[in-house]
Amino acid sequence: MTWFTEARTQQHIIEMAPTLASAYQAFYDSFWQLTSVPASVLELCRLRVAQLHHSDYQWQYQQVDVTIEQRESLSQWNKSPIFSATDKVCLAFTEVYCMDPQSITDGQADAVKSKLGDAGLVALIEALGMFYGMTRVSQLWEL
Amino acid sequence: MSKQPRVSANPVQTGNVVRDSALGLVTETVDPYLRFNYAIWHSGPLTAAEVELARLRNARKVNCVFCKAVRYDIAIEAGLDESKVEQITDDFDQSELSDREKLILSYTDYYLEQPTALTAEFKHQMNEEFSAAEIVHLSMAIMLCNCFSRCAVSLGGMPEHDLPRMQISVPE
Repeated sequence: MTWFTEARTQQHIIEMAPTLASAYQAFYDSFWQLTSVPASVLELCRLRVAQLHHSDYQWQYQQVDVTIEQRESLSQWNKSPIFSATDKVCLAFTEVYCMDPQSITDGQADAVKSKLGDAGLVALIEALGMFYGMTRVSQLWEL
Repeated sequence: MSKQPRVSANPVQTGNVVRDSALGLVTETVDPYLRFNYAIWHSGPLTAAEVELARLRNARKVNCVFCKAVRYDIAIEAGLDESKVEQITDDFDQSELSDREKLILSYTDYYLEQPTALTAEFKHQMNEEFSAAEIVHLSMAIMLCNCFSRCAVSLGGMPEHDLPRMQISVPE
């Protein structure tokens, strides 16, 4: 239960606005169908956004399977051999994005493009906006 | 911040401002984005003028030059004139905006700055003024506007100086 409704989950709260809920869900779901960014990479980035926000609600949620080892090592991804080179350039980008998108360097963007292409960079940025936004919304709602 | 765009616009030009931008490169998300954005402006319980207040507050805080310059015609038709827009400053609490409009701006600021810091008094005021559906709508609107203003900044090529005001329709 949050401060403005008795609904207890993000999905049930969003359904309080029925004229928006299906359009939101279709947009959210579209990220997990991307050909340019593997869903496992997106999930690692989503979880890193949750970590950086100290959002236990988003951290506990699982959209896509990642290994327990990856979850446990995520805060130290840059020192861990269990993350791929693609994972690492995307996680580096995620951290700067969360701090301040104006601080993203051309080198960081180029590193993502070298792995995922132009469409992949755009898709990753859009996805990060969604993850960042919904993490903050869940915090506003005290989930 | 990079002055050069990091990605080229979609080479397939359609005449749609969103599809023709870099967002058009991501074919899986562009249609769902357009439908969700359209619903935010046309289908929610808040008026378009109220959504525009939150959008412009976000634009100014994120410093998205494009977002700051845009005015949606649907919001103007719903009553948001420039005299109100000029009051969306850091001193909006002292402005002549209504209490409801000030709550919209305060909620936007909480999202942007301290989403875990809502006070009991603020939550009470929100519950007195807005329905649950309106709070969800406002939250979704702020999230979407913030998502795409940060996207514009992240993609580079942002002008250094403010642009002239541009009145446009919500892309379909």
